[in-house]
Amino acid sequence: MAAAARLNRFRGWLPGRTLSLAVLAATLCAAPVLAVAWIALTGETGDYLRHLAGTRLPTYLATSAAVALIAAAGSGLIGTGLGWLMARTDFFGRRTLGWVLILPLAVPAYVAAYAWLDLSHAGGPLQAMTGGLFPTIRGSWGAGLMFALVLYPYVYLLARNAFAAQSADAYNAARTLGAGPLHAFWRTSLPMARPAIAAGLALVVMESLADYGTVSHLGAPTLSIGLIRAWSGAGSLVDAARLSLVLVLVAIFIFGLERAQRSRARNINAAGRHKPAPRLPLTGLTALAAFLACLLPLLLGMIIPLGRLGWLALRTEAASGLAAASLHSLTLAGVTALIAAALGLGTAYALRSRTTIAILAARAAGLGYAVPGAVAAVGVIALLSGTQALIDPAWRALTGEVFPILLTSTGAALVLAYLSRFAAAAISPAETALARVTPSLDGAARTLGATPRRRVWQIHWPLIAAGVTSAGLLVFVEVLKELPATMILRPFNYDTLAIIAHNFASDERLGEAALPSLLIPLVALLPMIFVARYLSRQDR
Amino acid sequence: MKSVKFLALGASIALAACSQPAATDGDSARVVNVYSARHYSSDDAIYAAFTEQTGITVNLVTANGDQLIERVRADGERSPADVIITVDAARLHRAEEAGLFAQSDFGELAASIPANLIDPQGYWVSLAKRARVIAYSNTRVQPAEIGTYEDLADPRWQGRICVRSSGNAYNQSLLASIVARSGEAAAEAWAQGVVDNMARAPQGGDTTQLEGIAAGECDLAIVNHYYYALMVNSDEPARQAAAAGVSLLFPNQDSAGAHINVSGAGVAANAPHPDEARALIEFFFSPDAQRMFAEMTNEIPVIADTAWANPTLEAMLPFVEDERNVSELGDHNATAQRIFDRVGWQ
Repeated sequence: MAAAARLNRFRGWLPGRTLSLAVLAATLCAAPVLAVAWIALTGETGDYLRHLAGTRLPTYLATSAAVALIAAAGSGLIGTGLGWLMARTDFFGRRTLGWVLILPLAVPAYVAAYAWLDLSHAGGPLQAMTGGLFPTIRGSWGAGLMFALVLYPYVYLLARNAFAAQSADAYNAARTLGAGPLHAFWRTSLPMARPAIAAGLALVVMESLADYGTVSHLGAPTLSIGLIRAWSGAGSLVDAARLSLVLVLVAIFIFGLERAQRSRARNINAAGRHKPAPRLPLTGLTALAAFLACLLPLLLGMIIPLGRLGWLALRTEAASGLAAASLHSLTLAGVTALIAAALGLGTAYALRSRTTIAILAARAAGLGYAVPGAVAAVGVIALLSGTQALIDPAWRALTGEVFPILLTSTGAALVLAYLSRFAAAAISPAETALARVTPSLDGAARTLGATPRRRVWQIHWPLIAAGVTSAGLLVFVEVLKELPATMILRPFNYDTLAIIAHNFASDERLGEAALPSLLIPLVALLPMIFVARYLSRQDR
Repeated sequence: MKSVKFLALGASIALAACSQPAATDGDSARVVNVYSARHYSSDDAIYAAFTEQTGITVNLVTANGDQLIERVRADGERSPADVIITVDAARLHRAEEAGLFAQSDFGELAASIPANLIDPQGYWVSLAKRARVIAYSNTRVQPAEIGTYEDLADPRWQGRICVRSSGNAYNQSLLASIVARSGEAAAEAWAQGVVDNMARAPQGGDTTQLEGIAAGECDLAIVNHYYYALMVNSDEPARQAAAAGVSLLFPNQDSAGAHINVSGAGVAANAPHPDEARALIEFFFSPDAQRMFAEMTNEIPVIADTAWANPTLEAMLPFVEDERNVSELGDHNATAQRIFDRVGWQ
């Protein structure tokens, strides 16, 4: 009964048709992962997994844990600190830094890894400069560090939005009761932002675990190395799919932890009722310290690695086809980001209906994030060729031929693969944003006679705009640097910047890889500037 | 009902979006669809020359060999692939086992290509060769100290060898060649010996290993010959300097010969344009294309009397090469991988 009443209360949020559409879309995103699970569960059983368990599996698991922990600790520290600085203080350069700090996300982790290993290897420039003292960036800690440096924007974006939305009451109360600024931050602001930080960390951890290029170059044998080896070395796609199910289980666990954080925080995360806290103006040395604190991750995650590549690029002839590749990257990322933002928002609303099917669909859609791109792409291929096999008999009966359209290797297949991979990056921020719209707020609007449409546009949207556009932006940047699914599914003669960069980088021809690598963050700047402007208009 | 309508609408939109036809061919425009694991930008020059000579347009998708195999396999009879190219004999073997290639006798070509570079069943043929060799420090190693792959397992090299991860296809094929030559037990003992001699945990690609020697981290490395050539020909002074401290040794010259791997190609089983596919494969063996392999990617042409000018590559030749059929590398790939796992070669 209680559930039915709750359902009724929320049903007014969303027309039933939109609800089913959102559920359908989320299910579509989950389908490739389900296809991978199907491959894993129905495939032939050999002895490869037993061989693996007796040899490398413990190493894979331990390395995965180490890499994920280091990535989470590093990105959590950087992202939370910067998010708070940007949301709650004011100092010279803050406005520009606010969106520049997102840019390292556009640096593919493997590009950062290639550049840093090139800089720091024995006999490289950094060791020459420091008399051999600078450590070579490699192994688990090196890979974890790379992920922290290029993925912290996840935490930063979500934490910043959360800090900005907090009312100052709790913090002020803590200060009144005698807590110092740090202590008050630790006891009030941080716990209130924890769901957002946890959402960001969950994304960082999943992306670190699903990565292949970085860990293979730096010599950190994680589970995704193991599963690519199962595929490439042992030729067993089935065993690769099975190992990727382990990653899916890890994802379920991590997203579960994140959910727990969120539900614990639901009651205290009130917003909209109070004016947000005024920014703490920083001057003199503290302002300088804040500025440098922002500059450091930018330097390490973007300026130094891309600078190294740029320096090498000056000595190398530019690769051809970069203009077309930029356009392709921009098109794919733009289209996917728009769809993903709508999907994220729709799913977030559907989740508020608290119907079991909506929750299941949304959670399943998020799991694609845990699966290495190459395996997720196999899921898409299996799904599409399976669909084709289903269409074929009917089509043959009608026309006497097989269905003429090849579903794989189309733009649509690529977009499906991206959505399946990155739905979590779209849903999580939208959901976090929508949590700011409390039931009481909505109830008040209804009592005052606001129509559903008016409620959505005049009350919900201003509160959630930042979260939803951030979601679109995250997906945009993810698609720009996505590699394995793009490689395997793209149409003929369709290179993207990430593909050109990787082709050279994988041969350690960093000079040629430089220009396309530099272009990825440049292309990412376009929507970032747009979003930053839009959001600052919203702020007013 | 409404949601059913929406479903139908969504499905039709999705189909419309998907309806980019699989590269079709008019009568006027001849095309060949190439799935290639070769990602070298210089290949564009080869395709351009082919198009200029034949009027056939080349459509290209590049990806990792296993991914290409999976894509062609899943697309089945609808696959638009005409020619499949990989950079490792074991991948060619795997594509063959998946039934992706059409059989061919390669006509007159067969006479001019060494028999060990053609698949015995006629499913694929090698386009160019690469040797996996030993690089050594000019200052810390005397050439007389080492002559074979087997020597790498000698305890005297403890802590002195740099080599990349065993996830790399070239390492797998090297070990597969040792399995083929000496059996699984001997190959495992060898791999264990090399692991014991490693100067550091595997990291980076072959260039990183060469730089490891130059930096004094190790004295020996296992690399493909063209990475050294790339380094010698680099525009960057630091890389040139690194190359100056390193030399290559082509192993087993008095016995089995140096291990070679190949770039190879075959006509896809369901090729929509089989004639164009054969034309392209034939073109790869033309003096022009073979010359470009040697001059642009430092690969070794498979047609012996090809004329080319590349002093760096020329300095490495000739050498005695392992004449076992390269298709055997595929037979032993899985065994090699398991050995790597057992001995802990990361």
